Amino acid sequence: MTCEAFRDDLLDVLYGEAAPEASRRFADHQEGCQACRQELRDLGALRGELRTWRLPAPQPRRITGGMPSRPSWLLVAATVLLSVGASTVFSRARLERQDGRTAVRFDAGEQRLALQLAAQEARHRQEMALLKASLAPQGGRVDDESVLRKVQELLRESESRQGIVLEARLSDLATRSEAQRRYDLAQMSAGLNYLDGKTGLQAARTTELVGHILQASQKR
Amino acid sequence: MAVMMLRSDEDLVQAFQAGDTTAFDALVNRWDRKIQGVVFRVVGADEDARDVCQEVFLKAYRGLPSFKKEARFSSWLYQIALNACRDRLRRRRGRHHMSLEDLEETADGPLGAKGPTALERVAAREVRERVAAAMATLPEEQREVIVLKEYEGLTFPEIAEALTVPVSTVKTRLYRGLVQLRQRLEEEDVRRSEPVPLRPLT
Repeated sequence: MTCEAFRDDLLDVLYGEAAPEASRRFADHQEGCQACRQELRDLGALRGELRTWRLPAPQPRRITGGMPSRPSWLLVAATVLLSVGASTVFSRARLERQDGRTAVRFDAGEQRLALQLAAQEARHRQEMALLKASLAPQGGRVDDESVLRKVQELLRESESRQGIVLEARLSDLATRSEAQRRYDLAQMSAGLNYLDGKTGLQAARTTELVGHILQASQKR
Repeated sequence: MAVMMLRSDEDLVQAFQAGDTTAFDALVNRWDRKIQGVVFRVVGADEDARDVCQEVFLKAYRGLPSFKKEARFSSWLYQIALNACRDRLRRRRGRHHMSLEDLEETADGPLGAKGPTALERVAAREVRERVAAAMATLPEEQREVIVLKEYEGLTFPEIAEALTVPVSTVKTRLYRGLVQLRQRLEEEDVRRSEPVPLRPLT
């Protein structure tokens, strides 16, 4: 068998995950294989070097840096969200999250909007034609008041649909804000714990130092 | 919160799914540092990485209600983190290459700690720079496995679960990554030991 066949065993041994059988198998092999003994030693040394790469010390931080304090930020955010939500619904714009950023995209000029508008217009024409036809038998002409009532009814339906869409979007935004808030709080809590620990350590050292100074001055 | 920290991930997930949103805080507290570790070492310790960490927990928050109990929470979270890292690196590739500064840490030990001398700190920094620079040259898939194994201490089956690949693939990537790293570090040693050529006086 070549050394290649023992590569998985070597890794298991290197990371202390070898089952007794694999451990024995590799031990038997490396007894007669200088190259594998050397490889195990080299990789062990490499792991030692890798451990020198440490992470920065944790720092309390805002994850979206440069923002004003929370109350004013929340107020501004709520206002912006409400206006974006309302204008999104009324302008038939859509909110998109891309590359980690939320963007408002307007469909104006896009072919899809043109198609939607054309379809809507055709639907309205058809509805109007049906309406006229249903009103025609009553005296042979269209009653303006009934048309107005029907139009008002359609408007109410439309408003109700828009309300539902707005509510769904606001609920989604509220979920995101909640997640952000929770993450912020957790970050602040971790930061405060870290500072607490550091301050305690510093105080203990200061006390120790004062003790030493006192002892030294008493001896003198 | 102390009681929360004693509960297992799975208990906390269950509590969150039952409507206890504070369970999510406990999960963030428990996993934030670990996720930072992975992201910082795969993407680099910069603002980009902080955005990625935020993204990971936002995705986790939104995904937790539909999280299935069959999966391990840690593997699921690592999976989210690695996917977020890959997305970020893919986008970044269009802008610039990862530099040593991206990967290199910026802070020293805690304030006032009894630490090494200035000379020792410089030497330690030099060693870290070498490792960060060598890691930056590895293909993403090898770097991911090394980070999960060396710095997160995951077992081979856990890494396989997080990456959704067989254990044998994990071992192959790890071995190739380690061999490449060793080669890079040796090349770097040779380069550093070469005398700097003198420039002729003008």
